[in-house]
Amino acid sequence: MESNRSFLIQLQILTKRMVLRVVRRPLAELPNLIISAFFLFVYDGALGGVFGGSASGTPFDFAKGNFINFILPVSIVSASLSGAASGIYLVEDIESGVFKRYQSMPISRWAIILAPMNVGAFRVLLQSGLILFIGIIIGADPAVGNIGFLIVLSLAFLWGMGFAGYSVAAGVKSGSSQGAQAATFLFFPAIFLAPTFVPREALKGWLETAAAYNPTTYVIEAMRAVMVDGWELDVLFRGYLSAGLFAALTLTLAVLSARKATEKA
Amino acid sequence: MLAVDVKNIKKTFISKQDTVEAVKDVSFQVKQGEIFGLLGPNGAGKSTTILMLTTLLSITDGRASVLGIDVATKDKEVREKIGVALQDTGIDNLLTGRELFFTTCRLWGYSKKDSEKRTTEILELVGLVEAADRRVKTYSGGMKRRLDLGLSLVHSPEILFLDEPTTGLDPGSRRVLWDEIKRLRDNGVTIILTTQYLEEADELADRIAIIDEGLVVAEGTSDELKAGIGGDVITFAFENNDFLEDAKNILKNTVQDKNELRITVEDGASKIPGYLKDLTSNGVEVSSVSASKPTLDDVFLEVTGYRLEGSEDIKNEEEKSKR
Ligand SMILES: Nc1ncnc2c1ncn2[C@@H]1O[C@H](COP(=O)(O)OP(=O)(O)O)[C@@H](O)[C@H]1O
Ligand SMILES: [Mg+2]
Repeated sequence: MESNRSFLIQLQILTKRMVLRVVRRPLAELPNLIISAFFLFVYDGALGGVFGGSASGTPFDFAKGNFINFILPVSIVSASLSGAASGIYLVEDIESGVFKRYQSMPISRWAIILAPMNVGAFRVLLQSGLILFIGIIIGADPAVGNIGFLIVLSLAFLWGMGFAGYSVAAGVKSGSSQGAQAATFLFFPAIFLAPTFVPREALKGWLETAAAYNPTTYVIEAMRAVMVDGWELDVLFRGYLSAGLFAALTLTLAVLSARKATEKA
Repeated sequence: MLAVDVKNIKKTFISKQDTVEAVKDVSFQVKQGEIFGLLGPNGAGKSTTILMLTTLLSITDGRASVLGIDVATKDKEVREKIGVALQDTGIDNLLTGRELFFTTCRLWGYSKKDSEKRTTEILELVGLVEAADRRVKTYSGGMKRRLDLGLSLVHSPEILFLDEPTTGLDPGSRRVLWDEIKRLRDNGVTIILTTQYLEEADELADRIAIIDEGLVVAEGTSDELKAGIGGDVITFAFENNDFLEDAKNILKNTVQDKNELRITVEDGASKIPGYLKDLTSNGVEVSSVSASKPTLDDVFLEVTGYRLEGSEDIKNEEEKSKR
């Protein structure tokens, strides 16, 4: 029996079980997906007319004629925040006592912690991919060609995992799913204290300062670069760096807090 | 070898607000193949004891071993040998019974094929074959407990820890579980269970330890405990409280339980007339009097000074369900 108890098998079994939980609650996927799609449609509807093709030749032509390209990164970033579900999944198991049951069995504690992270990653890719797909249908067209979609998706993944780590850390620390849920409130400052609707140059005063300190800004700008402007390697680099640092930081926090949670009282 | 050997274990929870001595001093020994009952009220320290013995909580002081393996230092080895059904262990409501068993088999290291086989076996063992493909959400309380029991049996443990396996169940479901547990014992599994119900301890446990406020206050077979009281229990009931208070002064050595007084003596029946004479000559009206062999209830009252709440509930529920 021992041979079937490798870490990878345990991780696979626990991930599969968690995927089943997600699949059996499909409605839970909707709110974030709808908000993300909402950004795409509503802002394109409201602002696309002004800042889209008709802005051509004016100082407001930051979307270079295609507002979808400009606003899609916001939608994708919003979709990637679905990674925060990881913490909620984990805390649900802590609250229900399933976590304790696993602890009473010879299971690697890392498999117990990583399974919800896996599912969070899966969810990020699914939601971001879906939004990307909608974007393509309604006319997104990266300045760097189709590889731009891949870059956008990879940035979204990294960013989503950052939120996954954050939610796990917050959830485990608070010990309640409300705590994990509260982590998703970071959503608002993340999205709105950023150059969401106009480029950073057009932001004013405190908002400009806040945006400069918000890592979301650099992720959105990197996505925008490949969508709207073409290869701007420094912008791209800053985007990956922000997302990577954020993910590294929160995943470390997640591991530390999870280690604490699995320690015996 | 002893199945479980517990020597003066202690658990103190320290938090910023306060310090709780959940288990102050608990010792007992469980032989292989017996059902051992840990009987005590809410908050006595039963769950904390079980959590320590199952390696889920650290032991503040004292020693415990399972099949000779030290619980504190060899927790991995201990976990291989034991099955655990905790009081508030979660069951994944969104999965079906079959999926839960299969997943648990896989986690214990069975191959896919063996997991399927074992799942079928356990479903039969705990009588959940028909409900196997329904989500656990739709299970009744009794079915969930049987599922819980089944999950703890997946790896055929030699020793089973059950924390309040029947609390909150209706009498019918309780009996089904009792039979299940006895059958396991008859197949050689050692079982340590906790309960708040006197009847459960009396009916199921080969030996009982009564635990109160973190201390073991009595231990033995049900008969030993009852015999330990010595003699018979005479119970007096009174019309009103004044009579009761007067009687307390006259009879001495009584234990009060609500509006009744009890006195434990050798050869109770022959002593009733004498007591009645003493009482009536002092103007105390007795509304009823009876002598009986001590019950576990009397033992509990004797060793703790109060009656176990909830023991009445089983009787009431059973009567209700008979109607
Ligand atoms: N994690 C904990 N932190 C602080 N106190 C606790 C903790 N767990 C249990 N207790 C306290 O320890 C005592 C015994 O609890 P428990 O073992 O659950 O009793 P039982 O299972 O017999 O009802 C109770 O007073 C309870 O409040
Ligand atoms: Mg308890």
